[in-house]
Amino acid sequence: MFMKTFEEKWTAWVDGELSGAELSEFEAALPDKAQAEVEKRDAHKLGVFLKEQLAATPLGNEDFFNHQLRQRIAAEAPTAGARGRETAPRPGWSLGRLVWVGATSLAIFAVCAIFIMREQGPADQSQYLSQILNARVDPAANPNASVSVFQAKDEKATVIWLDGLKTLPPEYASK
Amino acid sequence: MPLRLLLIFLAAMAWLPGSVRAAEPEKIWSGIVIARNVAQPEPTPAELRPLQKTLHHLFGYNQFKLIGQASKKLNKGDEDWMASSKYFSLHVDSKGVTNSTYLLNLQLFQEKKVLLETEARLSKSSPLVIKGPQIGDGVLVLLLMVQ
Repeated sequence: MFMKTFEEKWTAWVDGELSGAELSEFEAALPDKAQAEVEKRDAHKLGVFLKEQLAATPLGNEDFFNHQLRQRIAAEAPTAGARGRETAPRPGWSLGRLVWVGATSLAIFAVCAIFIMREQGPADQSQYLSQILNARVDPAANPNASVSVFQAKDEKATVIWLDGLKTLPPEYASK
Repeated sequence: MPLRLLLIFLAAMAWLPGSVRAAEPEKIWSGIVIARNVAQPEPTPAELRPLQKTLHHLFGYNQFKLIGQASKKLNKGDEDWMASSKYFSLHVDSKGVTNSTYLLNLQLFQEKKVLLETEARLSKSSPLVIKGPQIGDGVLVLLLMVQ
């Protein structure tokens, strides 16, 4: 325990919290007990007055005030967000978001490509084989010449077969 | 998770046929060949190896000697070029690309004389073989293929 100061004992005496030997000792130490009693009564009166005046006044129309507050908060929230962005600028898109967007774009492209290919259907066989649209041998130079076209399908080759051309001497085989 | 998704779609893209992907410039190879039957045939030139079986089935000869060749990378599809030997030349005039086939005008010259004129659609998967005149005990063969 520690010794109370005079001010602490005074406050306790005014509040009526002193008792027994402590009360007797404190009252004996008072220089003018009558004056002290007057001050005690004044303090009590002031306390009662303050309690009466400062008691919380219940608000009427609390729903209205709640509504007003919520509207104010809602109105200020985006502004606060924008202010935050201004003060701390962030990069446009994060890496993860870029990856997601890229993957989504590829997915859309792949789906479109597959649908387009299905609409086109299986390609015509002729698209895979070379085609001869026309072939002509000069009849004046080779009057007996004939041209035939066929496809060696096993080898997927297209062949132009010239017959009846004049036979040439072996030196025509030189590089 | 996003990385896994990305890998799946990259695999899907690799699966897509070449026609969907961006077209790369292709090369058309043209060759002038003498086919013969000889006792000791020379090895088939590397350029002819993809066609060796086809040539053997078509002509029955055991030696295919390359006497002239030319190749052209087609960027626009309207290029022309010429493969030549001493006496023959094959002029190829590309008129464009449609449905992965090349529209070609071909002229086979024997010196300055036109032996054959033809218009053909050359497909990537189908070589063009032309059997020309008999030369000695062999035959002249002209070849075109997309490489």
